Amino acid sequence: MEETLRFEDIPGVEWVPSPRPFITIDASKCTGCGNCLRVCLAGVFRLREKKAEVASLERCMECASCLFVCESGAVDFGWPVGGTGYRSEWG
Amino acid sequence: MSAVDYDVIVVGAGFGGPVAAKRCAEAGLSTLILERASTPGQKVISSCTIPFYGFLFGPQWIRDGDPPIERPITGIRNFFVRDGKVYATDNSFRVPGPLANRLAIGYTVYCRPFCTWLAERAVEAGAELRTSVAAVDVIMESGAVKGVVTDGGEELRCRLLIDAEGVQNILARKAGIRKTYRPEAVELCLLYDFKMAKEDIDRICGYQIEYYWAMPEEKIIAPLGEGSAVYIFPYRESIHMTIGRFLKGEEGVPVLAKELDAYYRRFFQVDRWREMYAPRTELRARIWDTCPIYAGLYQDMRSMPTFGDGVLLIGDAAGLEAAAIADGVPSAWFSAEMAAETAIEALRAGDTGASFLSRYQRRLEEHPLIPALISDTHRRDLAWARWSGDEAEMRRRVNQGWGIRLMGHLALPVLRAVYREMRRDPRVLKNWLDMFNRYHRLYA
Ligand SMILES: Cc1cc2nc3c(=O)[nH]c(=O)nc-3n(C[C@H](O)[C@H](O)[C@H](O)COP(=O)(O)OP(=O)(O)OC[C@H]3O[C@@H](n4cnc5c(N)ncnc54)[C@H](O)[C@@H]3O)c2cc1C
Repeated sequence: MEETLRFEDIPGVEWVPSPRPFITIDASKCTGCGNCLRVCLAGVFRLREKKAEVASLERCMECASCLFVCESGAVDFGWPVGGTGYRSEWG
Repeated sequence: MSAVDYDVIVVGAGFGGPVAAKRCAEAGLSTLILERASTPGQKVISSCTIPFYGFLFGPQWIRDGDPPIERPITGIRNFFVRDGKVYATDNSFRVPGPLANRLAIGYTVYCRPFCTWLAERAVEAGAELRTSVAAVDVIMESGAVKGVVTDGGEELRCRLLIDAEGVQNILARKAGIRKTYRPEAVELCLLYDFKMAKEDIDRICGYQIEYYWAMPEEKIIAPLGEGSAVYIFPYRESIHMTIGRFLKGEEGVPVLAKELDAYYRRFFQVDRWREMYAPRTELRARIWDTCPIYAGLYQDMRSMPTFGDGVLLIGDAAGLEAAAIADGVPSAWFSAEMAAETAIEALRAGDTGASFLSRYQRRLEEHPLIPALISDTHRRDLAWARWSGDEAEMRRRVNQGWGIRLMGHLALPVLRAVYREMRRDPRVLKNWLDMFNRYHRLYA
């Protein structure tokens, strides 16, 4: 059985954790504006020493909002490994 | 030149990809579909009422088939909310009474079963489907796309790539064809799915979708023009509810987790929800996704190419969502068929260069519906009602965009599409009526 994660506050969705991280932040480009934190519904990011960093990809629904709002091009958004990440029957 | 593995590789088995793949496979092209989810549609999130024009003017095999539809939709009910109460209703856009058992303005569907159904039809036609595989890069040779690299490191070569990857545009950006959509053009939608008994839905929603509109001080939706209404879409034994907001508005980038939750909390206090829905619904899912709804309204976004050397883009990847009605499935289907047609011609001619493929973009521009849908400013123009602070102005504009006066601007493109289809084959009229009947039976 593959390992899946569920969260009480996000019913109807399960996650198969990706063996590789799929969102990364280039600290040399990040201006610390916090846009990625503002739009993320999954709490993926946190600010540390005026730079954004990825705190946890566990609840990420791969919507790419962080990518769209990053003006400095610091967010590198890719896909979780095929067959992993979120899935839902109710989309 | 290195050998190719496939004539055509289609990336994405959402709404558009399988339609393109089926047509290519039927023309005898060796066709591979790559899908990163383990089951098609499991990573597609949508509200999702597919308007009638998608079915009438989209792929014949969907029209004449038995796709898994949830519920026919026969009209839009616009509710206007003030002080937590619905104070006015506009349900002027609907199929007239006697025809409501026969015609529909759209059908609600769940993405997983629907996209799975589409992908199965493509496979039946001879396409190969590989799930749980993400394409992570394009193979480029002298500026031309020659294939993709998978997340397993495999290089898959093709004569032509059809990119149906959706709004994130990862591959199209890697190929240097597109840039990311600007945040003002992208809406983030938070969706709730509730179980509800069929009899309750029949009685409360019936076959109409519900939109709830309000001025900003009500705080049940994003500032007018910068988001959607609250949508409630009836399914067979469930309802889908959506609230959305663009990633950037007049006041910059909003704190969306807080805002969207606050809208929901306030909306759950609105009298109609509290009295009619709350006692009869049970939350089943909470999901979210982005859609490039205003991509057609920004010149720089709209003028990004939809093709390149060796590659054609369809659906959300090509920025084809309707800017007011916010539907993207019909254009994904239309563009999928045109892309497949172009691919077939290009491979026959042995020319997959950008100048040959440019006919695809021309076809998109000449399509009777797509340009009208993606450039419809009614939703964005709701901001005028916000600026004026005039509720009557809001109701007038909602009537234009989602009430009977919607007919004013939709009628001409639809009639053009009808004319085009009738000229090809007048018997299509009978097929359309058969479709409405069959879908009605599928539902019943
Ligand atoms: C909340 C919301 C509500 C909506 N409501 C409606 C509505 O009511 N009516 C309507 O008509 N439209 C609606 N839309 C829009 C509609 O869902 C989209 O326009 C439509 O899904 C676009 O189809 P597509 O084929 O372009 O992309 P998608 O359907 O998004 O399919 C893309 C597919 O590609 C896969 N993929 C992506 N990248 C890769 C890769 N690199 N490798 C392998 N696989 C990959 C994805 O997993 C996915 O399956 C809504 C959208 C949202 C987000």
